[in-house]
Amino acid sequence: MNVQQRVLKVISDVLNRNESEINLEASLRNDLQASSLDQMTLFIVLEDEFQRSIPQEEVTDLATVQDVIDFINKKLREPSPP
Amino acid sequence: MKRRVVITGAGVISAIGVGVDEFWRHCLQAKSVVTPVPEQWLKYADLRSRLWSPLSNYDPESFGITRTEKLQLDPVSILAIGAAREAIERAGFSLSPAGDRLRNFVLSGIDSARTGVYLGTGIGGAHSFLHNHSHHLYQRARSELKTYAEKHAPAVDREILDNILALMVHGPRYNPFVVSMLMPNAPSAATAIRFSLTGPNVSYCVACASGTVAVGHAYRTVRDGHVDMAIAGGSEYLYDEHGHIFRGFDVAGTLIRDCTDPETANRPFDEKSSGFLFSQGGAAVLILEELEHAQQRGATIMAELIGYAETFDAYSMMSLAPGGKQIERMIHAAIADANLFPHDVDYINAHGTGTKNNDQTEAEVIDRVFGKSVLINSTKSLLGHTIGASGAIEALVTALSLRDGTTHICKNLDTPLLGLNFVRSVEQHDLRVGLSQSFAFGGHNAAVVLRRYN
Repeated sequence: MNVQQRVLKVISDVLNRNESEINLEASLRNDLQASSLDQMTLFIVLEDEFQRSIPQEEVTDLATVQDVIDFINKKLREPSPP
Repeated sequence: MKRRVVITGAGVISAIGVGVDEFWRHCLQAKSVVTPVPEQWLKYADLRSRLWSPLSNYDPESFGITRTEKLQLDPVSILAIGAAREAIERAGFSLSPAGDRLRNFVLSGIDSARTGVYLGTGIGGAHSFLHNHSHHLYQRARSELKTYAEKHAPAVDREILDNILALMVHGPRYNPFVVSMLMPNAPSAATAIRFSLTGPNVSYCVACASGTVAVGHAYRTVRDGHVDMAIAGGSEYLYDEHGHIFRGFDVAGTLIRDCTDPETANRPFDEKSSGFLFSQGGAAVLILEELEHAQQRGATIMAELIGYAETFDAYSMMSLAPGGKQIERMIHAAIADANLFPHDVDYINAHGTGTKNNDQTEAEVIDRVFGKSVLINSTKSLLGHTIGASGAIEALVTALSLRDGTTHICKNLDTPLLGLNFVRSVEQHDLRVGLSQSFAFGGHNAAVVLRRYN
């Protein structure tokens, strides 16, 4: 699976939604109705999936599914954690 | 009038078996799992005890725990949910998805507001506390030290720094759910959320007696009509990356000293016992039901709970009071609660840790109250000590022993204390009444009395 597919799978698992319901422009909060707790959960599962540290302050501005995919791609280009 | 309370389901996760059938089969075969402690623990301290009983055989996914939940729940809660799920299913309830929250369930045919959850744990989510504490303590320091080592340290210093860095083990994140993972009420809360139970929900934090106290209090609430059904038991998880929890018991001098032969090192009630075997943990859950409630739905009854009592030593945080006066008072009170006399008790599942003072005091009290004919074993002789889960596991063993008219041996007993009637071989017995007792750091004593159900 590529990064986008893996992110969609995590979003689908955490928010209990079919992947087909999740489009890339969907807003996490408004369209997918992810609460702040859901978003916290989402990012710890993404940390686990991609083995990268995701500090909360780095993800506060991420609004859409595409934003999350772009953010993960950027993280994966950074050096691996010590 | 007091209502009758019966056990209609059970679930267990332990080092020697996951699920009641495997667990009980391995109990009767006197199976144990005893191995050297994780090697990395020895980097942090010169441990005196070197053996433990690891919980290497359970798979949270097999009882429906997802990756997301594993990141949000301490293992102590996952163990509780797993044991509760088996207990509920064995009691004959079917589980339906609870609305759009697909991971949670509702139970068929019960009033969820009249169903309580009563679970004990000694240290709750200490694993998660320590796991996140090491991240809090080491993450920045380790990162800075590593950068310094790579940029500035000459070869000779680099080796020293690398050794230090290797000790600064920490998890990948400071988990935003850490508070709800470590709180001791998490197992009972997580279990009731999982099964949509809205009745009373209580956690019992009474060290090694937690499981017995939880079962005893659940029994009372069903008996006295506050609820019709209770999910009762105990759960414990004692592993951490640095061996911190193990060391706490080790420095207190409570763990096995003579580790030469892992097969025979754990020997409660034997003259050569040298401490208790540290367990990684486990859980047991019983479904307690008011008799008519159980009969109306055609439940299979495993055994009946007929008495409970608890006392407190008021003597020492870490030692039983010499003479065991409060233990003796507790036993008499539990038997009186069951409207019986000591001679009515056929079988005792003892606390039986393997620590010399405990075993000696317990044996003396049993001798005084019951004499030498009552059948005795220690489930800790198989499992080691699962702390807050032990009382629930032992109540389950007592119920199974009464149901089947047989019980497991008291393992590794060469020279038994006081010549009491410890179980030496698996045989059939006419077991009508059993008593399971626990004593805890702090000075808590508790016992449940069970009867065979005909």
